Amino acid sequence: MAQAVLFGIGAFTAARLVLPKADASSAVAASGINYGLGWHWLPATVVAIGVTFVAALIISLPAIRLIKGEYLILLTLAFQLGGEQILSVWEGFTGGPFGVAGIPPLKIGDTSFSTLRESGTILYAGLMLVITIIVILISWGLGESPFGRLLKTIRGNETLLPSLGKNPIRPELLTFGITAAIAGGIGAFFAYSQGAMVPGNFSLDLSILVISVVVLGGTGNIAGTIVGAIILGGLEPILRQVLGDEGIPWQRVIYGAALVLMMIIRPAGLIPEGALTRIRKPKVAKSFDQNLNGAQGIQFGDFTNKRSSSPEENLSEVLVIEDIKKSFGGLSAVGGASFSLRKGQITALIGPNGAGKTTIFNMITGTLSCDSGSIKLRGRELTGMPTYEIERLGIARSFQDVRLNESMTVLDNVAVAVPNQPGEKIFNLILHPLKSRKAEKSVNQIALDCLAVLGVAQTAHELVRNLSYGDQKLVAIARLLATDCDVLLLDEPTSGVDPGSVNLVIEGVSKLRDLGKTVCLVEHSVHFVERLADHAIFLDQGVVIAEGTVAELVSSAELTELYFGN
Amino acid sequence: MNFELLAQLTIAGIVLGSFYALLGVSFGLVYQTSKIFHLANAIPFAAGGYGAVWSAEVLHLPLFVALAFGLLMAVVFGLLILFLGYFPVMRRNGALLSLFLVSLGITVAFPNLLQIVFGTENIPLRTYNSEGELSSAFDNRVFSSGFLTITLIDVLKIIVSWVLIIAVVVFVKRTRSGRSITALRTNPTMATAVGIDRKRVYILVFALGSFLAGVAGLFVTAEFVASPVMALQWTIVGFIAVFFGGIGSLVGTAFGGLVLGLLSSLSSLYLPVNYSPIVVFASLFIILLIRPQGLFGKASV
Repeated sequence: MAQAVLFGIGAFTAARLVLPKADASSAVAASGINYGLGWHWLPATVVAIGVTFVAALIISLPAIRLIKGEYLILLTLAFQLGGEQILSVWEGFTGGPFGVAGIPPLKIGDTSFSTLRESGTILYAGLMLVITIIVILISWGLGESPFGRLLKTIRGNETLLPSLGKNPIRPELLTFGITAAIAGGIGAFFAYSQGAMVPGNFSLDLSILVISVVVLGGTGNIAGTIVGAIILGGLEPILRQVLGDEGIPWQRVIYGAALVLMMIIRPAGLIPEGALTRIRKPKVAKSFDQNLNGAQGIQFGDFTNKRSSSPEENLSEVLVIEDIKKSFGGLSAVGGASFSLRKGQITALIGPNGAGKTTIFNMITGTLSCDSGSIKLRGRELTGMPTYEIERLGIARSFQDVRLNESMTVLDNVAVAVPNQPGEKIFNLILHPLKSRKAEKSVNQIALDCLAVLGVAQTAHELVRNLSYGDQKLVAIARLLATDCDVLLLDEPTSGVDPGSVNLVIEGVSKLRDLGKTVCLVEHSVHFVERLADHAIFLDQGVVIAEGTVAELVSSAELTELYFGN
Repeated sequence: MNFELLAQLTIAGIVLGSFYALLGVSFGLVYQTSKIFHLANAIPFAAGGYGAVWSAEVLHLPLFVALAFGLLMAVVFGLLILFLGYFPVMRRNGALLSLFLVSLGITVAFPNLLQIVFGTENIPLRTYNSEGELSSAFDNRVFSSGFLTITLIDVLKIIVSWVLIIAVVVFVKRTRSGRSITALRTNPTMATAVGIDRKRVYILVFALGSFLAGVAGLFVTAEFVASPVMALQWTIVGFIAVFFGGIGSLVGTAFGGLVLGLLSSLSSLYLPVNYSPIVVFASLFIILLIRPQGLFGKASV
């Protein structure tokens, strides 16, 4: 919502820098406000971009604590309106309500891009086209990079990224900063081309126009935005021809109506996200031995989850949970549960609805804080740590729903989980493009291998939304595998899966054990637990009632009654 | 410290703050219940003002009937937005963002429609007097007592705003329909499970919210003029009051509005008057940084 004001910050910063110094020409100095530092346009543009970037980071400060949609709308809206006010009262910077004039036009060598002459206007239009193409290429490159994959994952589900060991705040802030910087840079060129401008040029209306363009064309893809821009941009001269000056309000009415109709009729926009993704021929993993033996596993190479080894590395009990408690208001959800997970085994948490099973998962992974008690991974205390750090120590979880981004390919959904990808840092993308590209190949190979373990490698290049729910569940498990964590928590891996696919899930989970993973699962299907689990823990009302092998628990009449009723 | 100036600015702050509180409760009622970021609350605001001006000039209605007609228009337009804009999107299970974008579209289109129909000029509120001439509808008298002055409209703003705010709060707390609003807000699933009709509650809150926005629109029209762009900046002040005071509590919102008004007015002791909108935005920014739940909000966002 604040795009217009950021655009304005870039424009006025550049204008102030390139305007001639106060003493340079008496005519300019006499007007009082139209002086500046007399810089060359190139460094001025760079500074304008930098200033806008920093301004964007400052306004996103409160957003770090509140990554919630409506707050972001409010914050950026408030910043837009507050920013407009600041621009119009800060006379030293913007010249107040009357703005600045006399900004020298762009010059490259002896060629002047002055829009006062026709030749200059054409040159300028050409320059803008070049800049637009550069911006599109940069955005496209970022979108297709591992960094872009992170962003798409965040958009698909804000809460997912921490559970994959990645902190979502940095990429979000960076993206906001980068888009602001682009707006600021364009603002600088706007200043050079117009020669004069007023703060009113950067009002909320402009921000809304930008939003209309994106929404009309289709969010989440650049092609849609370009189409939206051409349609809405082309509307203006046409209406001006037909209606004269009265065209301006009509133009706004049409923007507004288009926005409303679009949301009602075709919310995804003219070109929905993923519509243009090419479906490549499935390329089944070559280097990967489908009959995997337990010792070998997946070759993570440089991308291992680098964990510091602790002295208790060889303990048979990998995760020890002692007397953890959690209550919501006065209601106790987990009332002092203690159990442990044994290395390389599958442990099942069973019990009736509301027994606190999922709550315990949330507590282990740090999504919920413990009221008391301790959770130790190989002797290391986890309570109080943020989710993404716990994941980096080696605990990953799945959710009852699959939480895949439906508009991304299966491969991308899994690849995002691979740890330590150099291409996720913009710094690396710019400075080490070759290294990033090479790494990306290995990352994709790892993701493909993980899919192969679960037997769904042939779907790698499909969009997730074209997969059956059973296959989606398998992909979600493959994503867990790609985190390279050794403790995997599965929340109801078979819920919602058709009976035919349940066997595939069972096979998949047992392969996790073959790979040496320590698995803990919450499951309602006794049949499933019987076939898989080495050990079962029966929970009721947030405490452990019994534990033992599945056979032992099932044979206990008392527990059967608790679970199934009479 | 100039005591006289301080006292005068405090009174101006209370007037402004009461108006902010009214706007805040208008938006807060809708936002709390439906979670829609109802930017288009600006439409009933403008519809109220234009409704009164138009009915007085064209239908020759006397002042109070014209004002009532304005309020009717506010409610009608508020409900039109709900039925033609939000309900169709909800029926398609549209996300909150889609609803916001609908709101945004309406907010862009409506003032421009007003401009096409009524022209760009500002229209004062005028009624026909006994001689059959159009004249200013309202004598905005100034009361002075020593160094303090206050206008009739300012007095009315304080009284009407707080009477309406208290009425709404009591309605929500004490009546059956009011409690269904709270139920839907705090636990939508449970509320629908016990038979509360979501649609009916939405209609109720949109009618109430639009009514309050219409009242605010009438004040601005009576004090200044009706103009196509009259509503948006005031509507946004309403949002800020909600987030500043604390979402989830109408009383918090009302006090948030009052505090904002005082801050904005008293800041002119130290800053030029045209900085006061910046003070409002800066206060919001700071509150969100240090107390995300708002000044009077309960913990946990």
